[in-house]
Amino acid sequence: MTLLVGVDIGNSTTEACLAELGPDGPRYLGGALAPTSGVKGTAENVPGVVKVVQEALSAVGRAPHELATVLVNEATPVISGLAMETITETVITESTMIGHNPDTPAGAGLGTGTTVAFGELDECGPGERVICVVGAGVDFEDAAAGIAAARDRGVEVTGAVVHADDANLVVNRLPQPIPVVDEVTLIEKVPLGMPAAVEVAEPGRTVRTLSNSYGIATLFDLDPDQTRLVAPVARALVGNRSAVVVRTPSGDIADRRIPAGTLTLIGEHARLSVGIDAGAEEIMATLRRVTPLADATGEPGTHVGGMLATVRDAMAETLSDTADEPDVRIQDVLAVDTFVPQHVTGALAGEFALENAVALAAMVRTSRAPMEALAEQLRSALGVDVVVGGVEADMAVLGALTTPGTERPLAVLDLGGGSTDAALATGDGEVRSVHLAGAGDLVTKLIDSELGLDNREVAEDIKKNPLAKAESFFHVRMEDGTARFFDEPLPAEAFARVVVLGEEGMRPVPTRHSLEKVRQVRRSAKHKVFVVNALRALERVAPGGNLREIGFVVVLGGSALDFEIPDMIAEAVAGAGIVCGTGNVRGREGPRNAVATGLVDAHAGRAL
Amino acid sequence: MTSMEARPERVLDAVERGEAAVGIRPDEVVIGISPAFGDSFTKTIVEIPHAEVLRELLAGVEEQGVHARVIRYRSGSDLAVIAHAAARLSGSGIGVGLLSRGTTMIHQKDLVRLSNLELFPQAPLLDPETFRKVGRNAARYAKGESPEPVPARNDYMARPRWQAKAALLHIKETEFVTAGAAPVELDVRIRLADAG
Repeated sequence: MTLLVGVDIGNSTTEACLAELGPDGPRYLGGALAPTSGVKGTAENVPGVVKVVQEALSAVGRAPHELATVLVNEATPVISGLAMETITETVITESTMIGHNPDTPAGAGLGTGTTVAFGELDECGPGERVICVVGAGVDFEDAAAGIAAARDRGVEVTGAVVHADDANLVVNRLPQPIPVVDEVTLIEKVPLGMPAAVEVAEPGRTVRTLSNSYGIATLFDLDPDQTRLVAPVARALVGNRSAVVVRTPSGDIADRRIPAGTLTLIGEHARLSVGIDAGAEEIMATLRRVTPLADATGEPGTHVGGMLATVRDAMAETLSDTADEPDVRIQDVLAVDTFVPQHVTGALAGEFALENAVALAAMVRTSRAPMEALAEQLRSALGVDVVVGGVEADMAVLGALTTPGTERPLAVLDLGGGSTDAALATGDGEVRSVHLAGAGDLVTKLIDSELGLDNREVAEDIKKNPLAKAESFFHVRMEDGTARFFDEPLPAEAFARVVVLGEEGMRPVPTRHSLEKVRQVRRSAKHKVFVVNALRALERVAPGGNLREIGFVVVLGGSALDFEIPDMIAEAVAGAGIVCGTGNVRGREGPRNAVATGLVDAHAGRAL
Repeated sequence: MTSMEARPERVLDAVERGEAAVGIRPDEVVIGISPAFGDSFTKTIVEIPHAEVLRELLAGVEEQGVHARVIRYRSGSDLAVIAHAAARLSGSGIGVGLLSRGTTMIHQKDLVRLSNLELFPQAPLLDPETFRKVGRNAARYAKGESPEPVPARNDYMARPRWQAKAALLHIKETEFVTAGAAPVELDVRIRLADAG
């Protein structure tokens, strides 16, 4: 009987599997898990490995001197990087439009007329149709009194644009309500003496006239050429509860595409270029045409050139201590369409527009990590025999096969932080594996930028946990609509907030977005990365690219512990008649410990 | 709006309408003022007229389409007690407490008394714009929204500079406390000083 331990050094965690090898195969005693110390595959890993080995031993009451062999895997030599670039930009010229959607516009309906400053309202004659522009420093009582007095004189004040958050205060003091749009911060830039329209919809509704090109054309009596020009204005106002459009001689709103450069994908047989502004779908289609990818380059001096340079620099830095001359060749890219909330250039009320952006994850295959050096150090630290052996993908498959209810052909999907890996064992001893760019880190980045959080930790929190809204101090509404009650009052900082329900309790999310919005962003980010990559990876390892040839798919890795990703993947592959689920290594470890277990299995002579 | 000099002088008329009752409207915020607010005292610690403070708070609530009710708390001068009493009288469970020197708190009825939703402890830093925002946030809590807390300004010199005055004002205010008296409902009218 010999005691041995398999150790898997991952990017973020180091896992161990302790087993006793007898004549009739290995008997598993237990496992342990600790954070990886240092960069994976370097000598800095030693403390982490020592820690898990000791933990695994002490958990079953065995002494270190009983240990015969430590098995370490050949680490997958891939690292990954991320970059993101916006590809559109909204520019408003000559202050033609206000569409910032304040929380509380007032009145309802549509007002049209010539823009007049509040101070000049006295000079308007009876019968004139005007839109009153109330600048900074005017009190709401004075504004209401002034507008009411002008209307009494017969001036048709049909709407107003206000600097402060005063719309309801003004309208509540008028004998007849008029549509008022407020919180226009740069009100001094609103052109005066120009025809304009103000529209406010009832609560819960959106503007109907100003979001319709022909509506604007009717109001301002435009010809077909002019109507063509205002179409972007109408489009920008869709979905708003309130809007102002001012007709100036050459005012315009442009939805400009930023020349982001072209990405050149160099395959083993072909070489194709694609513009980044074509979007993710086009980039991925081009990638499929050149597969297998040998390298990728970006047009120098453009955004994409900068993106790839960032990725390469980051990678070269990580590699600098493992190789003399880092050879950074991009082996896979994943492009994802996303959007980033950005300030509109030329806007009067701090409007945001959701600009299109493309996120790129790239993956580089590196030269082999110096595992022998690591093994040597481990030998002296632990005082036992250390064996390096087993390709990570093969070991993962062996470990996954200990999941009850599986058999070959079996594919594993390892959903990590930096890369999505897949391996398929067909049963003839051969394992096909693939490493793809894009995984958990990319999801975090998408959530971060789409919600405009600018805080990785909050984004990570949102990614990992279900949401709820604290509706009172004694109950929350979960994201699926069910209510959950508490006997003890919730913490004061959670009240009325969107919260994440983490394992350590409830944490408020510092965001102005609604629960539905946060949930939708979270799910779509996971879908865009993990579902897309799962299908891409399985197609690459499946015989002839046919998913139906795969019998079982076992999902492993840190992201397999996620509360919804495995279900999303299972749903996506269900059509191909595949049994797909989260792994349960050795019937008890869940999606963890597959590689460590596989190492023990392989050492015990079990073949693929 | 930033400078006080530009504002016309306004006066606060507060008529007592008997003992304050618990509200039944879910869309109301109750503003609880301290025993001497707008009465024996007429200005905050930095000389902002109480009429202006209350006007901005009420405007903040009104702009959100929420109803406001004002009560006077008579049996204590502790901000948490006043704010909590206001919250418990409020149909929405949201109340605002206001001391004569300007210190303000947003409270909720289910919270323990010494907790709060938002506290503005440094009265010398509170200007009319801040009171407007406090009213707005209170109303948004009442509507079940998730407002971002009003940015709390902090000045480490405020404590040494104003502490003595604040302490004196507190002692003075406490002299107006009527032990055991119930809160009273107020009819508040704010009018221009020269309008009679």
